[in-house]
Amino acid sequence: MAYIAMATGFLLVLIGFYGALTQRNLLRMIVAFTIADSGVNIVIVAIGYMRGRTAPILDATVSAAEAVQRIIDPVPQALVLTAIVIGVGITALMLAYAYRLYERKHTLDIAKLTDLQG
Amino acid sequence: MNALTIFAIGLGTAFLLGLLGERQKSLGYMLTLAALTFMSAVSASWLVVFAATGADSFDIFTAGTAPPFAINLRMGLIEAALTLLINLTGLFAAMHMGDALLRLGQRAMAVLIIAIMALCGIVLTRDIFNLFVFFELIVIATAGLVLLSDDDSALAAGFKYLIVSQFISALLLVGIIFAYHATGTLNIDGMAEAAAAIDPSVSGAFAIAFFLMFIAVVAELKPFPANGWALDMYEAAHPGFSAVFSAASGTAALYAVDKLLQIGGTDWLPVATGIGIVTFVGANLLALPQTNDRRLLGYSSIAQTGLILTVLGQQDIFGDDYFFIAGGLLFAHALAKAGLYWLSALVAGRTLPDWAALQSRPLLVFAFISCVAMLSGLPPFPSFYAKWELAHLLVAEGRSGLLALILFGALVEAGYLFRWFGYLIKRATPAESIACPAHQLLPIAAAVLGGWALGFVWGELSSSYFGRTNLLLTLPLFFALTFLLLDWLPAWVKNTLAIGGMVAFFSLTYAEYDPLRLIFAVIFLIGGAVTLLASYHAHGRRIGFYPAAMLMYAGMIMLIRASDSFGFFAAWELLTVGSYFLILRGKHSEPHALSYIVFSLGGAFLILAGFALAASAVPPAPTFEIAQLADLVQPVAPWVFLLLALGFMTKTAAIGVHIWLPGAHAEAETDVSPMVSGILLKAGLYGLFVLLMNMGKQSLYGVELTYVMLWIGAITALLGNLMAIFQEDAKRLLAYSSIGQMGYALFGLALMNHLGWLMALMFVINHYIYKSMLFLSVGGVAKRTGTREMFKMGGLITLMPLSFIATLIGIIAVSGVPPLSGFGGRWIFYNAILTADARLPMVLIFLSGPIAFLYLFRLIHTIFLGQLKDEHRRLKEAPFWIILPQMIYVALLMVVAVVPGMVLRHVDAYISQFFPDGALNWEGSTITSQFGYWNPVAIMIIVGVIFMLLFGWLLFVNRRAQKVKQFNFVFSAERPFRPETTHFAWNFFAPYRKAMGFLVQPFVTRFWAAVTDLLHTAADITRRLYNGNGQTYAFHFLLFVVAVFTFRMGM
Repeated sequence: MAYIAMATGFLLVLIGFYGALTQRNLLRMIVAFTIADSGVNIVIVAIGYMRGRTAPILDATVSAAEAVQRIIDPVPQALVLTAIVIGVGITALMLAYAYRLYERKHTLDIAKLTDLQG
Repeated sequence: MNALTIFAIGLGTAFLLGLLGERQKSLGYMLTLAALTFMSAVSASWLVVFAATGADSFDIFTAGTAPPFAINLRMGLIEAALTLLINLTGLFAAMHMGDALLRLGQRAMAVLIIAIMALCGIVLTRDIFNLFVFFELIVIATAGLVLLSDDDSALAAGFKYLIVSQFISALLLVGIIFAYHATGTLNIDGMAEAAAAIDPSVSGAFAIAFFLMFIAVVAELKPFPANGWALDMYEAAHPGFSAVFSAASGTAALYAVDKLLQIGGTDWLPVATGIGIVTFVGANLLALPQTNDRRLLGYSSIAQTGLILTVLGQQDIFGDDYFFIAGGLLFAHALAKAGLYWLSALVAGRTLPDWAALQSRPLLVFAFISCVAMLSGLPPFPSFYAKWELAHLLVAEGRSGLLALILFGALVEAGYLFRWFGYLIKRATPAESIACPAHQLLPIAAAVLGGWALGFVWGELSSSYFGRTNLLLTLPLFFALTFLLLDWLPAWVKNTLAIGGMVAFFSLTYAEYDPLRLIFAVIFLIGGAVTLLASYHAHGRRIGFYPAAMLMYAGMIMLIRASDSFGFFAAWELLTVGSYFLILRGKHSEPHALSYIVFSLGGAFLILAGFALAASAVPPAPTFEIAQLADLVQPVAPWVFLLLALGFMTKTAAIGVHIWLPGAHAEAETDVSPMVSGILLKAGLYGLFVLLMNMGKQSLYGVELTYVMLWIGAITALLGNLMAIFQEDAKRLLAYSSIGQMGYALFGLALMNHLGWLMALMFVINHYIYKSMLFLSVGGVAKRTGTREMFKMGGLITLMPLSFIATLIGIIAVSGVPPLSGFGGRWIFYNAILTADARLPMVLIFLSGPIAFLYLFRLIHTIFLGQLKDEHRRLKEAPFWIILPQMIYVALLMVVAVVPGMVLRHVDAYISQFFPDGALNWEGSTITSQFGYWNPVAIMIIVGVIFMLLFGWLLFVNRRAQKVKQFNFVFSAERPFRPETTHFAWNFFAPYRKAMGFLVQPFVTRFWAAVTDLLHTAADITRRLYNGNGQTYAFHFLLFVVAVFTFRMGM
């Protein structure tokens, strides 16, 4: 199960990278990056997964004493939360950029935004 | 104070700013400045604590738990220094960008504070995921702050940056999670421990995970060539922010790489070195053809970061010196780059010549050149001390190849930086003066003063740890630098101070020198003072002249006084830089000053490499004494000899590296030419003296190196003289003649016998006197006639009789005919070559004698004899202050001619300890060698009598000669297309040119032109990679990742 998730994650990363490198439209590029981000997040979660264990929540069913044997690794989950938040921030910023660029230059084509060179 | 307050204040102020209303922008701005000041104060207080007590660094735990269960931060001396740099950069950037911040409001201010806080976080944190978070914060903040710029292209630049950052963060995140998986911790130190003891079954996987983290963090350093996005940022962003991007972001990212290298271990050091050095050389080459100032600074930033990355990669051999070297380079780079970016805001135009706008502001020019010197690693800045240790440690470990690449890159960098300085000083100033608001000047002042202060700190560190000199505490340099503060005084006051200082220093120290050094000391200090008499003719303040001149003299006297290689090299660089400033003052000297500084720095780098190699061959000691050169043995000794000799011969303009001299000496100001010709050239000869005195004959692959020098000397003498005879420009003629004269001296030294050396010393003295004198008289004439072309002059003998006398005496002395001192030189010289067995070069030397006479004759004949030009009828004698030193020289020449023994017999005795055979016999007024004797007094009397007789006879037979008035002839009815072609003095030696012109074709000039062209062309082709497309840049980045991965796996 973990391997499937991880493979899916990497596949998504590759799809995202491919899209970001080949799509010339800014919005499509941003979408491609969100796909890649999701892929990375899936990979992270997949790493933390341990077969046959439960969610890392200490409550009536899982006591603190036996937590080490029963729950999966909580760290990657914490990381993924942070990564998602950061991803949202960057995506929002890129969208804002795309909006401003369209306002100023009336184009969303990355190949036309080449006024600085060399 | 707890270091966490940096974060508390940063976050707190950022939130508070969000709460302020739209109208409270000024309050917000005040809060921003206050917060950044406070953050700086926290870092500063820790820096003081660590520096004063020498305490160890300590960890700060968060969430009440120890790592790896919670994030920990570390504060130590390094962290305190780096966060102080970052916070101060942030503070001054906020000050500098005040207008833009107030326009965009509190949100922009909050973003700036967060960016600075996050940069501090990168430095402080010991948690790898925390590092990632801070990097992402910086990405967001950077993309936001780029928009502070007025430049429209900033938008596109920011987007390109975001694209590449997305790739970087994906790689970093994947790397982190797999590294965590392999080691079970996110703590950097824990990960480093776990990595060292990692299970072999997962070590391959861990290596890939580490590679991803490593390459992602390295990408933040904008490695060449995967850095198009960063360059666009540098170019388009607000210069206030570019300073942060270059100085602060670069600093933080470098420290992050250092942390990662702790995890990766020594296996990864070569990778860092490789990326670093490719970046350093590549980015510097690409900076060469840049025309936009900010983009050029961007390239230079990237290059400097690459250099520091190289140092990080070499940390295994640096031991305790690691932070001294890396820090010296880093702080110099950060302060200089911040200063230059902030300066660029004052300049309206964006091309390099637009910086000429700064000309009217001497303080800004000083700021600029201070920054350039910091970047070029010149004394007394921290980067100089760092460069010295770096070179020595690299060579000691046998990594000379790497040093060669570093020095090559540094030379290219110095080339474009000094070219830029040349534009700044020499190009036409734009009409509108520049606005200098105080809030923009303060940051610049802070950066520059910080650079000087750190120069002092590094000097102190260097003297307490390595026993070297703190250059800022040496009296001559201190004296020279005081003239910076006195530059508001009138020129004559400063001139008096300068002369007084030089004479006083000489009278205080003359007892300390041996006879050889004494001669040089007299020429440098007393000779320099005499030459300075001519400077009394200048009016006004003459801003910039005295600091430069005194820097040169300080360097020269420090050169003589230096006993260890460090002091010698520092003095060498100081005199080089000082003389460069002097030469640059000439009206048309921009290209010539550039070629001078590039050749000189190239020579200096050879000397540095030579000293480093020498120090590596003797038992380790804090300092390498110059005298220890004598202890060197095969196989190192000849290489040291070769490097040092090449370095010194660059200064004496030996053939092949002579092309800088004619322009530099000829285009210099009237009173500067004698300084750089008569005096400065002797520094190179002094170096050669020291070298030969200590190392003697050396052979490399069976070739005796002194024999090669002998040939170089002979060819230089011949070609220098030959080139001189075809000059139309009188000062150029004298300059080429210097090349020839230095060839003689080199030849004499390379003879390696008693008389050869004596003759070289005689040339040292004579050349100083007559070349200073000739340059002054020709300079005086040029000042009056307004031209240096000889065919435009003529008949000046009656109008400028004193100049005529000086020139006449000068050329008699140079040509070596009796009775003047030149003959003494020649006499010793002929004796010297009779004792040597090198016949063929001797023939060349003999040949060049009469050739010298050709050009000297022309000097007197064309300028002072013949027809007076119509427009010169009302000319007056040259100014008094230019004539006075000439008359002193005339007197000196007479004295040296009559009693050469006064000086030379002491030196003769001194040389005997190196070459006991062949000493001269000094009895009364007669000097005897094994081949004959020479009585200067008798010769003087005989020649005088013959002269008087002939002169009387000439007057007698000419008593009835009819004077032909000017215009007593006609050309023809029409005016020729090029009037000078009808003048007898134009192309005076045309027949000789026909016969020997092939020898003076500018082969060497063409060779060096081809080298620079090649570099420029290569850079121009590579530039096309940067096509401006963000996707292409992302693709570059991925290719770079693959390339580094392949390199690492192939290792």
